[in-house]
Amino acid sequence: MTKLPKCEDKKLGLLIDLDTCVGCHGCVVSCKEWNSSGGEKQLSDINSHQKDPVGTFLNRVHSYERENSCTNEAETFYFPRSCLHCEDAPCVTVCPTGASYKREEDGIVLVNEDDCMGCGLCAWACPYGARELDLVSGVMKKCTLCVDRIYSEELPPEDRVPVCVKSCPTGARAFGDFNDPNSDVSKKVKERGGVDLMPEMQTKPVNKYLLPRIKSKNSVSSVGSVVEEETDATGLLGWVDRALSKF
Amino acid sequence: MHPAPSIILFTVLSGFGFGLISIIGLLQFLNQISTVDIVIFSVIGLFFSIIGLISSFFHLANKKNAIKSMSQWQTSWLSREAISSIFCLSIVVGNIGWVFVQNRYFNEVGIILFLLSLFTIFTTSMIYAQLKTVPSWNNMLTPALFIFTALAGGSILLLDYASLVLLLIFAVLQVLFWYIADQSFIYKETSVGTALGFSKNEDIRAFDVAHTNRNYLLNEMVYKVARKHAIKIRYISFFAAFVLPMLLILMFPSNFSVSVFVIGIHFVGIYFSRWLFFAEAKHSVSFYYN
Repeated sequence: MTKLPKCEDKKLGLLIDLDTCVGCHGCVVSCKEWNSSGGEKQLSDINSHQKDPVGTFLNRVHSYERENSCTNEAETFYFPRSCLHCEDAPCVTVCPTGASYKREEDGIVLVNEDDCMGCGLCAWACPYGARELDLVSGVMKKCTLCVDRIYSEELPPEDRVPVCVKSCPTGARAFGDFNDPNSDVSKKVKERGGVDLMPEMQTKPVNKYLLPRIKSKNSVSSVGSVVEEETDATGLLGWVDRALSKF
Repeated sequence: MHPAPSIILFTVLSGFGFGLISIIGLLQFLNQISTVDIVIFSVIGLFFSIIGLISSFFHLANKKNAIKSMSQWQTSWLSREAISSIFCLSIVVGNIGWVFVQNRYFNEVGIILFLLSLFTIFTTSMIYAQLKTVPSWNNMLTPALFIFTALAGGSILLLDYASLVLLLIFAVLQVLFWYIADQSFIYKETSVGTALGFSKNEDIRAFDVAHTNRNYLLNEMVYKVARKHAIKIRYISFFAAFVLPMLLILMFPSNFSVSVFVIGIHFVGIYFSRWLFFAEAKHSVSFYYN
């Protein structure tokens, strides 16, 4: 049913640290790979090896620049965008067929592809562009929070996390229960001030983001001081420095 | 938003059909219509409503599950629309049959048809008006515009000077809708800043795109082609949907063949209006691609 449940038990989601993300698109590739391998459900591509390829992705990484208010220099940062598994998910309530639903036990928002008629209204209702209609199968695709990994009894315990979290080389993505105040993600949100995307849309996203910290003047100028210190080098380099300075 | 022809035709044709049915219902309730007219015009209304609904069916990417769209009436306006339109059209068919066989009608059925067809148009409009993601749709002007567009169109065949009043209300709502859609305040809360979790006025620019080609999101929700000619198309739409029909009705009142011609012109105007309704609407996901 498309009525939203009260997820009082668990709220599973992702915590994404924009300060750590290096924009490698590893999560995008591993997500596509995991969700296209095995079984009949695919994230399809059209013209994948020709001109104008298009395909379905559940996760995309944007990059932005903003001016550092401290140094007046432009800084770039990377922004992975995927489903936020909102508490008040507008994509679920608009669904006419009952294909979209939010799980009561852990808050994961899913699409039952056997019921989806491909009208695309849920994609319109999502403020974040988290849903994409698969152009081959004609049904809506979205992040499943790797529900087939996190509860898997066949995978080793350390692999029972979403594949984007597992594959992130910098540890910019964390997975956990945001309803549990003692979970790692909840502690980090509290410590670093995790934020919601577009809070004005009143969707109450479960996923939180940690924004890039503004690098201070000191941290930037300290790069310069490291270079200067090298002129006072000791040991072999110091001898070379002193010897060359004589000429 | 992408102005899909299937969706535009659906809202234009079924809007007209249900508008016509609601006018028939009203006249039937007020005893102001002959049994022959009920049968003839109900068949016309039925025809356009069904053509519109068939057109919307072609918008679906997975048509075999269309029947399931009747199931989620508790939360979904699209589901309510599907149920309400089928229910309303069943009553229209029943009414046609009864009037055709018995050569008389019940006034009570008229008021039911009037209210049910208005409700159907309302549910269609709420599919769009409910979306917080598209601020220019997300207000009660959208249902008002849809309802009076349908009533004005539906009244051209059956009412003479009274249809001018409905056309005038439609025209005022249309201009008001365009005026509001142009105001920057409707986007006052969302920016690329809030989209990324910063404050509203954070100065952020897209540095590089997330993908090397267009995708579903861009095709569906970041449609920008139309805005270049928007003002010209508004003039064409307003002239064809309102000015010309009004002049023709004033010059040739109670002339059925002129009415049919007027509806043809009116359709062109409404088609452009609906095209703009979609093409000019800005979805919040476009902030990620600014």
